[in-house]
Amino acid sequence: MVTANPYTAQGQYTALRFANEVINKGHQLKRIFFYADGVLIASRLNCPPSDEINLTKAWAKLAIEKDVELTVCVTAALKRGIVNQAEADRNALTGENLDPAFEISGLGQLTEAMLESDKLITFG
Amino acid sequence: MSTLFILNQPELLDDCITVMQPDDALLLIENAVVIATKSSTTQYKMFVLKDDLIARGLFESIHDQSTAIDFSKFVELTLAYDKSVSWL
Amino acid sequence: MKSICFIFNKPPYGDHKGRELLDICLMSAAFDMPITVIFKSQGVYQLLQNQQPDVISVKNHSATFKALDLYGVENILVESESLLEHNLKMEQLLPIAEAVSQDVVKHQIASSDFVIGL
Repeated sequence: MVTANPYTAQGQYTALRFANEVINKGHQLKRIFFYADGVLIASRLNCPPSDEINLTKAWAKLAIEKDVELTVCVTAALKRGIVNQAEADRNALTGENLDPAFEISGLGQLTEAMLESDKLITFG
Repeated sequence: MSTLFILNQPELLDDCITVMQPDDALLLIENAVVIATKSSTTQYKMFVLKDDLIARGLFESIHDQSTAIDFSKFVELTLAYDKSVSWL
Repeated sequence: MKSICFIFNKPPYGDHKGRELLDICLMSAAFDMPITVIFKSQGVYQLLQNQQPDVISVKNHSATFKALDLYGVENILVESESLLEHNLKMEQLLPIAEAVSQDVVKHQIASSDFVIGL
């Protein structure tokens, strides 16, 4: 679970390095669940200066290359303006901004992952 | 059950220690690595994330009570202990 | 079934962490996971009675604490040492929790499969 605010705290970066290492060592990573301020990572409009790491793209690379599921909590996301097309339509919003590597789902996805996994590591 | 407590904010050290058991260990990451530069009275095993020390210019200042580890060892520690608790 | 322990260690309303942790707690209860809820350090302020966060336009989540038992969450603990530290008495808190010593809190954390704080 990642709750760190992407460009305020270091936690997203620490989580990214940790997740990459988990996969490099051959372990199975069930899901990365983004919650609280951590959901802000999922906006494809995040645009840090070109000489700084783009954390959204770094997560997306992990998701695509290593087939890791990136799940964003819908309640936390909507509050903070992170929406896909379906949520934009449902809430009469004028645009969507979810990076395609991420998916929006419910908090039950965290609990389900806990039931199916040996370990949960939180990065806040 | 043994627990790996992961601490990223130095000001929460005292609070975290109140819930630790003798077989538990402390992993200092992010800003909490500053704790590893001082001698401490805690009896717990202490690990500290090497890159976070280097990033802050503190790698040479680490006190010999702590063990500097890389991300590979970080992953291994989360497996070696029954669970990990991020003390936020 | 795997057990979860939730740690509330911050006062309410200055941030949304208490509310968002409570949401995880309710969801886990819906999955029938055995749950322990612990209020410790400044988290004991979460349970104070007579909260009126509507004056700062914040939804009152303390009402939801009262509903925890409806979700089957019965093991709700307040650390006595934290109450003492913040000069609070059990009578000032919502009557849903049991005061326990730091040793009991330690034991609960040690014996749970997952421990979550925000």
